[in-house]
Amino acid sequence: MAYAYLFKYIIIGDTGVGKSCLLLQFTDKRFQPVHDLTIGVEFGARMITIDGKQIKLQIWDTAGQESFRSITRSYYRGAAGALLVYDITRRDTFNHLTTWLEDARQHSNSNMVIMLIANKSDLESRREVKKEEGEAFAREHGLIFMETSAKTASNVEEAFINTAKEIYEKIQEGVFDINNEANGIKIGPQHSTPGSPGSHMGGQQAGGGCC
Amino acid sequence: MSKKDNCETPGDLSKPQEELTAQPKDSSPVEEKPIVTEPVTITRKRPESKSSSLSIEEEESHTSDKPEQDSAAKSPSSWGYWGSWGKSLISTASATVATVGHGISTAIEKAESTLGVPSPVELSFRDQPEVAEDASTRESAESTEGETSSPISGALGFLSSISTAVQSTGKTVITGGLDALEFIGKRTMDVIAEGDPGFKKTKGLMHRNTTLSHVLREAKEREEQRVNSDVTTETERQAHYGLLFDEYQGLSHLEALELLSKESEGKVKSILGALSGEELAKLKQELESLKEVFSLEEFDDDEEVEKGDEDFIKELSVLFQDLHISMRPEKLTNARKAAYRWINKVEEEEKKLMAEEESTDPKEEEQQKYTVEDIHESAIRSLAELTACSMEVFHKTATLILHGEASVAAVSRGKALSQMTITLCKEISQLSKKITTLLTTSGASEKSDILNPLITGVFLEASNSASYIQDAFQLLLPVLEISHIQSRT
Repeated sequence: MAYAYLFKYIIIGDTGVGKSCLLLQFTDKRFQPVHDLTIGVEFGARMITIDGKQIKLQIWDTAGQESFRSITRSYYRGAAGALLVYDITRRDTFNHLTTWLEDARQHSNSNMVIMLIANKSDLESRREVKKEEGEAFAREHGLIFMETSAKTASNVEEAFINTAKEIYEKIQEGVFDINNEANGIKIGPQHSTPGSPGSHMGGQQAGGGCC
Repeated sequence: MSKKDNCETPGDLSKPQEELTAQPKDSSPVEEKPIVTEPVTITRKRPESKSSSLSIEEEESHTSDKPEQDSAAKSPSSWGYWGSWGKSLISTASATVATVGHGISTAIEKAESTLGVPSPVELSFRDQPEVAEDASTRESAESTEGETSSPISGALGFLSSISTAVQSTGKTVITGGLDALEFIGKRTMDVIAEGDPGFKKTKGLMHRNTTLSHVLREAKEREEQRVNSDVTTETERQAHYGLLFDEYQGLSHLEALELLSKESEGKVKSILGALSGEELAKLKQELESLKEVFSLEEFDDDEEVEKGDEDFIKELSVLFQDLHISMRPEKLTNARKAAYRWINKVEEEEKKLMAEEESTDPKEEEQQKYTVEDIHESAIRSLAELTACSMEVFHKTATLILHGEASVAAVSRGKALSQMTITLCKEISQLSKKITTLLTTSGASEKSDILNPLITGVFLEASNSASYIQDAFQLLLPVLEISHIQSRT
């Protein structure tokens, strides 16, 4: 139950690229081929361990449909990590990445870690976007990149966990102000001193008494 | 002077309970002057909980005829009498007193006294639905309470001896307690902070730029912390409303709804800021009439007929039709079904046991029976789940309204939502009634100090649930406002 940190994630990208399936695979370890359209946003949560510390991921899975865009933008704020997803079998979903990225950068905090995810890697025969293209895009925009398959679960864990690792490192480096919740990070119960929550300064509180 | 004393009450009450019990006479001089009749008068003017507790104690001092108790009774420290209820209850009560004004404190206290040990006795003596009356007629409530509570206080000192009374008056307790609870529920906006000790500060913070879900999350974390640090009693570990509510994504839905609400609010403000003169006045007037829909009227919750699954589903679908929103709240209806299925299962089990009682060896029964802790845990879980699902319904409704599904007059949508709020709150109330009845019947052999905190817990979390639901409803106002503005142009 207890965690050292809580990270808030958002999952964004065109409709039908497999955002909800990625979440379901990550939280429930199962795949559901037919998925209802997401209305606005859905949620999932899971505990992971990084560096011996329990970290709770609170994931906001947004609707990809264009018509929901103005609503889902409200949810970007306060996210520590974002999974930007496209579908390797549909080039248009790759082409729209720039728009998604602009949106994300504009409505979120500047330190947000963004992971570019090329989903449906199991559908090799229908591939329209080469892995190299994804890599190049990620490099160009300073994103982490990963090809996943929500269906076979390939790289799904890694995608979520690597994003968390990146955030965790940024915390260690002192890039993130963890006391500002607008950054999408929360210190878990056992980290804060009961009497004066959030009163401690400096970056090395992570080395504190827990675990 | 007596007025001043009243003002100080909240502070006094929020002191740690031990302190109060430890030095009962310290503060007594302050209060020594009032004559016997005065508390009643004070009560009329300022129906705060202390006055009532005062009058109770007054009465007691007469019943028990112990002169030395007199001073203690008159002092604020008379709260020490409630000591055996456990600290959390006391602090809850005190928080209530501190924040909430007229009537409410009475009701809360009433609820508490109804739930705790004393009231079974009280109610058994009275055997009437007066609690409800008290709640609505606040004026007389205090004095009535004062008079009628007298039998309690005598028993207060002999908690252990009245456990039998608890058993026999179980039904009455529940009815009385619930009436009071429902009364609270109607004003839970005011009482949100008090429902759960962990949420104590909610209200105060809410007014300082902090968002509700944020506060709730913090409260939940404090609760988590508390769980981690003290895993003392079984039930405490098992049933944590706040944690369960989060587990069912209730907090997330509430947070998302809050984001939408805030954004809409900002938009409305900037639109209003850009208007002037007649146009502005006209829009303001329109928004005003929308706002009126959001002032929840007191709803009558005396329905004797228990709603079945089908009725509930039907009612909801009619409401969604009125809203002109295509949504099937299946999670909500399924959660409800599951809750009732479980209750029915336990009830049947109970009946079976009752029938077998004479023939079977009592020890064997014990083993297969659901424990009161089981029932309590399931109750808290059901309440948390139903409430979380309600949050989802409101959040999705906001989403769909903003998404621009079918344009319907905002006022009629507001009315439908208001009705929805009432339906959901009644649902919570009905469920908690069922559960507490169950707790009382199956816990008949339990000691009161085990059973009562469980019953109280259910009531408190039910009032918490009602608070969440009503808060979520209020968050929809800005959403409807912006939707209204957009539909005008």
